[in-house]
Amino acid sequence: MVRYLLGRIIGLIIVLFIVSVLAFLLMHSIPGGPFDETKNPLPPAAKANILKKYGLDKPIYEQYINYMGNALHGDFGISFQSPTETVIDLIARTWPVSIQLGLLAIIVAFTTGLAAGIIAAIKQNTWIDYIVTFISTLGITVPNFVIALWLLLIFSIQLGWVPTGGWPTEGGEWTSAILPVITLALGPSALVARYTRSSMVEVIRSEYIRTARAKGLSARVVILRHTLKNALIPMITILAPQIPNLITGTIFVEVIYRIPGLGKFFVSSIYLRDYPMIMATMLLVAALWSITYLLSDILYTVVDPRVRLS
Amino acid sequence: MSQDSKKGLSRRKFVVLTGGALVASGILAACGDATPTTAPATTAASSATTAAATTAAASATTAAASATTAAATTAAAGATTAAASATTAAAGAAGVLPADAAPADQQVYVNHFDSTADATCLDFYESVYKRGGFADMQSDSLVRLDKNFKTQPGAALKWAVDSSGLVWTFNLDPNLMWSDDTPVTADDYVATFQYGADPKHAWDFTWYFGGVIKNWNEAVAGKVPLDQLGVKAVDAHTLQFTTESPAPYLPPMLLYSTPLQKKALTATGSGLYNADPKTTVSSGPFILKEWTKGNRIVLEANPKYKGTNKPLFQKLVAIAAAPSSDFASYQANEIDFVGGAVLSPADNALIAQDPTLKNQVHPQPGDFRTDYLFFDTKKPPFDNLKVRQAFSHVVDRDAIIKSIITPSQGIPAYSFLMPGFPASNSKALAPIQNYDVAAAKSLLSEAGYPDGKGFPKLTLWLRNEAPVRVALAQAIAASIKQNLGIDVDVSNKESKTFTDAMNAKPTQIQFGMVNYGMDFLDPYNMLSVWLSGGRHNWNNTTYDDAVKKAASFTGDPAQRVQMFQDAEKILVSDVGGIFIYHRYVSDLYKPYMKGSELEPDQNGVAALHWPGYAGFSQSVSSVYMSKDASSAGRKLPK
Repeated sequence: MVRYLLGRIIGLIIVLFIVSVLAFLLMHSIPGGPFDETKNPLPPAAKANILKKYGLDKPIYEQYINYMGNALHGDFGISFQSPTETVIDLIARTWPVSIQLGLLAIIVAFTTGLAAGIIAAIKQNTWIDYIVTFISTLGITVPNFVIALWLLLIFSIQLGWVPTGGWPTEGGEWTSAILPVITLALGPSALVARYTRSSMVEVIRSEYIRTARAKGLSARVVILRHTLKNALIPMITILAPQIPNLITGTIFVEVIYRIPGLGKFFVSSIYLRDYPMIMATMLLVAALWSITYLLSDILYTVVDPRVRLS
Repeated sequence: MSQDSKKGLSRRKFVVLTGGALVASGILAACGDATPTTAPATTAASSATTAAATTAAASATTAAASATTAAATTAAAGATTAAASATTAAAGAAGVLPADAAPADQQVYVNHFDSTADATCLDFYESVYKRGGFADMQSDSLVRLDKNFKTQPGAALKWAVDSSGLVWTFNLDPNLMWSDDTPVTADDYVATFQYGADPKHAWDFTWYFGGVIKNWNEAVAGKVPLDQLGVKAVDAHTLQFTTESPAPYLPPMLLYSTPLQKKALTATGSGLYNADPKTTVSSGPFILKEWTKGNRIVLEANPKYKGTNKPLFQKLVAIAAAPSSDFASYQANEIDFVGGAVLSPADNALIAQDPTLKNQVHPQPGDFRTDYLFFDTKKPPFDNLKVRQAFSHVVDRDAIIKSIITPSQGIPAYSFLMPGFPASNSKALAPIQNYDVAAAKSLLSEAGYPDGKGFPKLTLWLRNEAPVRVALAQAIAASIKQNLGIDVDVSNKESKTFTDAMNAKPTQIQFGMVNYGMDFLDPYNMLSVWLSGGRHNWNNTTYDDAVKKAASFTGDPAQRVQMFQDAEKILVSDVGGIFIYHRYVSDLYKPYMKGSELEPDQNGVAALHWPGYAGFSQSVSSVYMSKDASSAGRKLPK
């Protein structure tokens, strides 16, 4: 087990290294740079000054070595988008907001999704089941930015119940969290509901459930202790990838609801050619995904004794 | 209009009366009578003498000579206003809310600024393209614009040029103070201009003063030390500019001259000290109170402001938001203003049908922006004038405006300078690139490509355009295919990719569409875009000579206009570009926003004119929230 974990951690470091090289090469190969003129060309001397100031006049390999050297010492540079703070400060400022939003969305998604899935499975092929199926299909297929706009139109503009944007910990009303959490939770919630339902339906038909019923256990105990517990195992596979997805923020939800999170930087860093921030976000996501998969593999051995790591 | 202007006039009369005790009566008599807000040419002419009198006696001959030039007339007209408003400040009458204004706690102006772009600073001389919301409010520029786009005194109360036309003297308002209780001096301006040219700073707007201010380009290239720059302090309140060649357009160009404080700049090494409420120092109408990154910027009226642009708003709040969310927030009464540029065609259609919103639309020419097609004229097939002419005749501007752009968003363009911009000559130039398919066809066959045979397939590059202009480009491409038989692919490039390719030498764009809006109110600014070696690969030495000669011409302004019009005719006839349309900006703002600067201008346009609610504009001392704001259901931020 320890050897296995060690191997996985070494693998993680190799993955991060490969990601860093690929990201560095890719971002420097797209045309344009962080200091392009939007209006009239700068005098060549001025342009050269800017590149020199940020070390962008050096060959790519030298820039990469410099970057990695600094990064290993914990210095990820200064974001071109926000030169008054370091990349680390920028992430420390924006990521917690995205984590809050993401965790709230995960909690809402799993509670509502599980409840809906269980009810649909128990009341299979009734109108309740059909409604849950319909809503969850909608939740999966309609993109969250469309849902965000619908909710804004109804609850902020027409009814005026909640603000159009902001975030509670960043000077906004507490009600400003409601719409973004719903928007972000709807998709994963629908996913959870669908999987819970089908997995429950499968387990309900299995022989050990029939045995449990035959022993004369109450319906509640059969559902909660026997059916749900076993039906939840495949959920780890569903849950795991949602976590890094949701806690690194999503550009659409954060931008539409004016939430000052990390989400927008994944995109804006690229089109603004903010090299230090591109590298930091890439490495962050790569690390989070690797860790999530590792943890979910470990979690399997806990919930299902048949699984062994070796 | 009537009520406000009456108030304005009576206040001015009051100023004149009180000022009379303070200032020499001879000067005032001329000033006071010659300051109606709608300043016609006669005013300028009559007060030119006043300016001559008030300026140093030594320059009397200069003033007399330059009374005929456009710049000097503006300067002179401005000088009177300055004298009047300086006394206003002295009398303490400025910045008083009108009778119909909402209470002071509701004088809060809430706006969005683009969260998807960089926002790192609040000062023009730190970075032009990375300024956050409500930038340039923390010091006064030398000059300001009024709603008629006339240059008015700002931090400089008056200015004059010597007989060579090269040396300009600006007299600064001695009342101006920084919020740390030190006076604003000419040294602050000198330090700011030196910072702009500093090779180590690598300012993103250095091209602007290149070839205008003496030694600017040399200093940027590090060839001469910064103290050799043509910006000098004569004494604490006298600033002197030396230009490379006579530049009558210098005063309007100096709109962008909001100084950083020399002390803070030297201590911190950059203008970013103004991006943090803890270190900020203001001598302007507002002072930074809060900047939560990625969230919002809050400025409050600067209690120590001593200048002539005293604000009526007590607080400005700029919220970081994606432009696509502006309209929703406006409808939810969270913001007071939405820039027309961010409204989609769907938004505009909705506004046009809504009786309430319809009355809140204020179309205006914005920064006189023109969208046009350009070519690499150094390589076939576009090195052939006939080919360019053929292309220019297949763009059906009227149909494009009617069916794609919609008339509230623009007007057809057959030349570069938009009607209303100095030296615009739209009517006379319109026939040159008119819509004429038959002429286009014959020109193309004369060029050796009958019905497009043998013509290479083209790609039309766009610079990250909004869907409406992608549709516009598609329509033009379709028209080229249908009428000339040439295949055109429209490719909407990401902004940096496009800019990189356009600026590459030699250019990598054979055929593209882009737009340009002015930086300052002089034909030279717009027309200089087409000079050889600039951003387009169209070189015409006759044009270069004509534009440069007109630019530095210090004689009769009417003749100077004529010279620019002749130059523009070369640009249109030699088809440097194919001009498609001039943009209109249809801003939305709430009906409770009032102020004389929002009333109709000399062309009847009632709007918050370019550059908007900004320190570069007199709107700061004019616009306020009326009593109606109290009952409008506004949701003011905490």
